[in-house]
Amino acid sequence: MHQQHSPIDLSSGKYVKLWQGPQHPGITGNMSLELAVCGDEVAECKTHVGYLHRGFEKLMERRTFIQNFTVVCRIAVPEPTFNEYLYAAAVEELAGIDVPERALWLRTFNLELMRLASYLMWLGGISASFGHGTLYQWTVTHRDYVLDLFEELTGARIYHMYIVPGGVRAGFPEGFADRARAVFDKVERILRDVETVLFSNAVFKTRSKGLGIITQDMVDRYGIVGPNARACGLKRDLRKDEPYLTYDQVDFEVVTGTASDAYERTWVRYQEMHQGLSILRQCLERMPMDGPFQARMPNVLHWEVPAGETYVKAECTRGEYGYYLVTDGSQYLRRIHVRGPSYTHAVALMEDLAVGTNLADVAGLMVSLHTYPPEIER
Amino acid sequence: MADFKQLVEHYSKSYTIKDVREQKPSLAFLRVGKDEAVHLIRDLQETAGYTHLSFLTAIDWIEKGHFTLTYMLHNYAARHSIGVHVNIERQPAEMESIHQLWAQAATYQRELREMYGIRFPGSPRLDDDFCLEGWDDIPPMRREFDTVKYSQERFFDRPGRASEDPRAHMQQILYPTHKD
Amino acid sequence: MSLKDLIAPFYVWQRAFEKPYTQRRPIEERPGAERYRGFHVNDIELCVGCGTCEAICQNHAIDMVTVEGLSPKPGDSGLRPRFDYGRCCWCALCVDICTARSLRLSNNYAWLTENPDDFRFIAGADPMSWNDSQLGYRRDDHYQLLTPERVEMPMLSPEESRASFEEVAKGYSPEQAVLEADRCVECGICVATCPAHMSVPDYIKALRQGDLERGLKLLYETNPFSSTCGRICTHRCETVCVIGLQGTPIAIRWLKRAIVDQVPDSDYKRILGDETPDNGKRVAVIGAGPGGMSAAYYLRRKGYAVIVFEAKHRAGGMLRYGVPVYRLPDNDLDKDLEYIRSLGVEVRFNTRIGSDVPFAELVENHDAVFIATGLWQPTKLRIEGEEHPRVLSGLKVLEDVAEGRHPDLGKRVAVIGGGNVAMDAARVSRRLGAEVTILYRRRVEDMPADPEEIHESQAEGCRLVTQSIPVKISEGATPDKVMITWGEAEMVADPKGGRPRPVLQEERTHTETYDCIIAAIGQAGDFSFIPPEYRDRIEISHGKIVSGDYQQTGVAKIFVGGDVANWTADAISAIEDGHHAARGIDRMLSGQAVAQA
Repeated sequence: MHQQHSPIDLSSGKYVKLWQGPQHPGITGNMSLELAVCGDEVAECKTHVGYLHRGFEKLMERRTFIQNFTVVCRIAVPEPTFNEYLYAAAVEELAGIDVPERALWLRTFNLELMRLASYLMWLGGISASFGHGTLYQWTVTHRDYVLDLFEELTGARIYHMYIVPGGVRAGFPEGFADRARAVFDKVERILRDVETVLFSNAVFKTRSKGLGIITQDMVDRYGIVGPNARACGLKRDLRKDEPYLTYDQVDFEVVTGTASDAYERTWVRYQEMHQGLSILRQCLERMPMDGPFQARMPNVLHWEVPAGETYVKAECTRGEYGYYLVTDGSQYLRRIHVRGPSYTHAVALMEDLAVGTNLADVAGLMVSLHTYPPEIER
Repeated sequence: MADFKQLVEHYSKSYTIKDVREQKPSLAFLRVGKDEAVHLIRDLQETAGYTHLSFLTAIDWIEKGHFTLTYMLHNYAARHSIGVHVNIERQPAEMESIHQLWAQAATYQRELREMYGIRFPGSPRLDDDFCLEGWDDIPPMRREFDTVKYSQERFFDRPGRASEDPRAHMQQILYPTHKD
Repeated sequence: MSLKDLIAPFYVWQRAFEKPYTQRRPIEERPGAERYRGFHVNDIELCVGCGTCEAICQNHAIDMVTVEGLSPKPGDSGLRPRFDYGRCCWCALCVDICTARSLRLSNNYAWLTENPDDFRFIAGADPMSWNDSQLGYRRDDHYQLLTPERVEMPMLSPEESRASFEEVAKGYSPEQAVLEADRCVECGICVATCPAHMSVPDYIKALRQGDLERGLKLLYETNPFSSTCGRICTHRCETVCVIGLQGTPIAIRWLKRAIVDQVPDSDYKRILGDETPDNGKRVAVIGAGPGGMSAAYYLRRKGYAVIVFEAKHRAGGMLRYGVPVYRLPDNDLDKDLEYIRSLGVEVRFNTRIGSDVPFAELVENHDAVFIATGLWQPTKLRIEGEEHPRVLSGLKVLEDVAEGRHPDLGKRVAVIGGGNVAMDAARVSRRLGAEVTILYRRRVEDMPADPEEIHESQAEGCRLVTQSIPVKISEGATPDKVMITWGEAEMVADPKGGRPRPVLQEERTHTETYDCIIAAIGQAGDFSFIPPEYRDRIEISHGKIVSGDYQQTGVAKIFVGGDVANWTADAISAIEDGHHAARGIDRMLSGQAVAQA
């Protein structure tokens, strides 16, 4: 941890208070950092969330089990699919519903495609936060091609509402697999260019190496998960450690780094994009192309799930994403708690890592932690 | 999970552990008293390998008159999670803080103070706003807080919505006299 | 820092010569995908206004509203969904659950208007620019939130059923009943079609929740013959059940039976109570069939002293003497009848109005009279030879069997007719050991009998000959045989657009010998009990006693119902006629208007 300044005395003239956010490209969402800077070095950082608070957990207590799937995707705006999957998985576990094989594959495909789209935007974000706006244009465009695939498969680009308790809502349209492969090829080509331009880039290297170092002993103290933790050498990935859906039927590697600074974290995520593309291609090879994709459902208009509680988790781009669901035997859930990885990364961790960084690098640091504010305040 | 059973047996010697339930091989729940909970949690963290705090949240069992706090602890090596349940009173709602065990605990505790009104004495920035700037009503996640009533009192609906019930409509038109 | 790190970024300049990715006119060049969840389209001809879309909408974005030019009719509430785009999130749950599969989304996503109230519209009825779009989200064929298949009713096999008088339908187990009850979406469209307007969704829900007491109370609000109707009702409700639009209708009749069968007779009094306050007025009911006993029940509950006059020696009317016990066992009919009598309804058996008690005396001695005498006169065949002793009436055969007198039908039987009485006579004959041939003058689809009866009679081995017109009946070789000559009929289209008529083909006749011929081509009423002084005011038209509002005849205190009054001619209509007459009698005797303006 960095050297803490003694209590900040704003009247001393030594410090200036700045607000970075809530509308700032270096925040990946709507959140603000209340920075006290001394010169151009950050002396204190307080995070403020709540700009995207919509009260989901309370809203969901007022909607029936089938209605809730329409609401959950909005909890993590840039990466909605994991919410749909985890909500469905939690309900299915408590209701005792087994989803058919084909639906498991379709869900895996959907989650990996979401990962790709999310990483593409993030990759643009990390480059842009160090000033490289052109890369951002490339990756966001290619993300658009991925969103086109989503639109074709699910009927919407961002809030797919495709994974539902019981299975998924439709199979592949005609010719979809070929169009998907074409998009993967396109994405691979742009990634090669991104690699050249970003990782062999003097400015990026100078600014990001050594920025926001996370050491292994910090990981469990802060509850750091995902690439932030893997970049310091910990081989932790829920897809391998506690496999779900069809991840045990595809081959991929867990990418780790050596010292988790902004550069390593970017490199780890970049490698994961290639792993993700490989998983996507394997899904297309191995998934059954016909058969049911929905389990037998009770009448959803008056569906009462037996009382119980569970915690289901998945490895999203940022790490452990979990849904804690408590039911009481009625038509409504009693309590749902959404565990977003940014809850720890963007608040406790960011506040400590920011101290001592150069003001210009705060955006880069924030983005290198890959945080999505909506999952903090739900 | 055999190891979990052994773990419960071991800790039952020093703590009063109740309501032990294995939800699936990777997840189990147990309940412990308010005064012992933080000790047990620290023990699990320091000696049993449950070094990761997934989350800390509360469930409002208003009809039973208590909140149930759930501390979700994870053991990476064993790939196992334990949900530690602690029941506390709803009014006043207070619990010993664990901010010294995990850095993110302070954030969870701040949120629980704001959303449920649960106090964790000593937790840093406990009374700072988490999400709700300028909130002027009771902690909203409490079950007695009625979101519909709140929104109807503060905001206004655009007029013009009215719905007919199919059955009643058919009765009125097709068989108005066939009722007692 | 290597040279590469300094030069590599300039690599991006190669992309300066690329074609830009952006599209200048996205709405025209790039429409929404085929499955895009855009704006709503509803086929208002297919839509039945069940309101299930409104029920499932997670944000209360749908109202069911009236539409110009649409009015309620059987199976269609006349309402249509109006969408509020200030609240809709285009999740398409409404499309997934639509029972008629009329609702879908187009792939349009752009709508600009200066008036925010425009964003509430009736899909399919209001003229929207995307109404004709063919693309957009539709429910996938393999994704279904409703359960189209019905839980099968356990039945005796045809081999078992034709060998005995045991009840053919065995009844749902409690678990099966709950599973079937779960399929109901509680739209309530069936209620209008049920002649008695039973609160079907409510009692199905009570059954599903295991609250049999509430279920029984709900049944009795509209029908004191639920054990009977749970077995033999014509279940018109099921013909309009919205689940039937994409699957098999809810087995409403069997669910009613499931409630009643699970409540023992001995619990009825405790659950339904037996309060019958006395208001000092007296009503006479003629006929202890479903119409008469239903009127008796509702009148007694309202406090009237009721006396029922029954010509036969047991109550039940057509239910007892016309419906065989393998469809409606005696005990199950008695369950309904005995509870009504236990409330203090007096029934005088073996008492025929007209011969045993003069009609006029009845009218003078009571505050009101309800006629529900039924149709017991078999319609004549009107062919040569029908007086032959081996030509029997279907009703007589059924009555004999009901009374335990097994008639001697022989081994080869011909049944003439296509209604329920004909089917019942045929199936009874089978059980008495005969080979049966059914002769019907028109086509199968014209037969007035319940489709299930037609199907079961054939499963039990009855030979069905359609388009066969009896021509004459003559002596058989021996006195215990009879010969019938019948001719094949051609269906000839009606020039006026009515249904086709059967025309006898004289040259294609068949002559067959049977041990007996059962004639079951219809029944007519016997109104001879009504004396001349009432005939001018009690109008009889086309064989039915004419009634107005609340079943009232031309004489203010005389009401009529059942087969003698209505054209639907089933038990449930008679039951409702009795209930409605009770309402009318109550209104008349408490000074309220009976005739509606």
